[in-house]
Amino acid sequence: MEERKLTEKESLEVITSMIARTKERYIGDGRIMLMWGYLVTLVAIAVWVMLVASRGQNSWNYLWFAIPVIGGIATPIMARREQRKKGVKTFSDKITSRLWTIAGLSEFLAMIVCVCIQFSTGISCWSAMLAYTLIAMPVTEIAQGLFIDEKSLTAGGIIGLAVGIVTVCCIAAPIPLGVDWFMPMFIIAFAAMMIIPGHILNRKATKE
Amino acid sequence: MMKELNPLLHSQLRLAVMSILMNVDEADFVYLKEKTESTAGNLSVQLDKLSTAGYISIEKGMSGKRPRTICSITPEGREAFEEYVDALKTYLNL
Repeated sequence: MEERKLTEKESLEVITSMIARTKERYIGDGRIMLMWGYLVTLVAIAVWVMLVASRGQNSWNYLWFAIPVIGGIATPIMARREQRKKGVKTFSDKITSRLWTIAGLSEFLAMIVCVCIQFSTGISCWSAMLAYTLIAMPVTEIAQGLFIDEKSLTAGGIIGLAVGIVTVCCIAAPIPLGVDWFMPMFIIAFAAMMIIPGHILNRKATKE
Repeated sequence: MMKELNPLLHSQLRLAVMSILMNVDEADFVYLKEKTESTAGNLSVQLDKLSTAGYISIEKGMSGKRPRTICSITPEGREAFEEYVDALKTYLNL
């Protein structure tokens, strides 16, 4: 492309052609999603094993804090790298990034509230935090999936949300969330929400 | 009466850059060069002109050891582009 004056018709052609070139879908790879998926899964397995081994000693739930600490440090670094690789930040990138930031911050706040309640009353409310996680994260993922038109995210989010609704109903019933069945369900939900879509996105990115 | 077309936008490369930046939040120099199929020298000169007019903002930084230039459209640039398109419509009877 050179620097020259245009006719009115040519101007219109330049505008439409550039709009078409920026309309390509930039979903990006699934590395960040995989990092969160494996991180949550590993921490959940660690909490599960320790709760079983210690016969339900609640202090092992503090291991959940490893998720925001590790994820919170790794995500901006990985996002910056991905941004550099793409060379462009679209409006959908901006919106999805904000959606996940809000979901992540609210999750962190829920953890803080759980700790405060446990310290002040001695009552463990970690199950409520897990229920919140299984509502907030899937809803965010479904929103992202619908926004960027990526079915694997929407489907993963729906599976996670279904598990979240079951969890909320159990808490309301009240049916105790047994470590032996709830933790595996939580792990399966996160694998469906983060790990499977993450690998699908990675495969698509490699093909592109 | 036909509106006058903004001379700063009525040129192939500057219009192409503005059209891209209207559609994305920000884009780096390499992306713009690739999409507009222009030379680095020419693109650099045109970006400076748009920046001097206040139509785009240019942020220069480093990406590892390499320099990285990120461009985004300003509210003035957005307004100028919209006025340009409106004027263009009158010329083309759209």
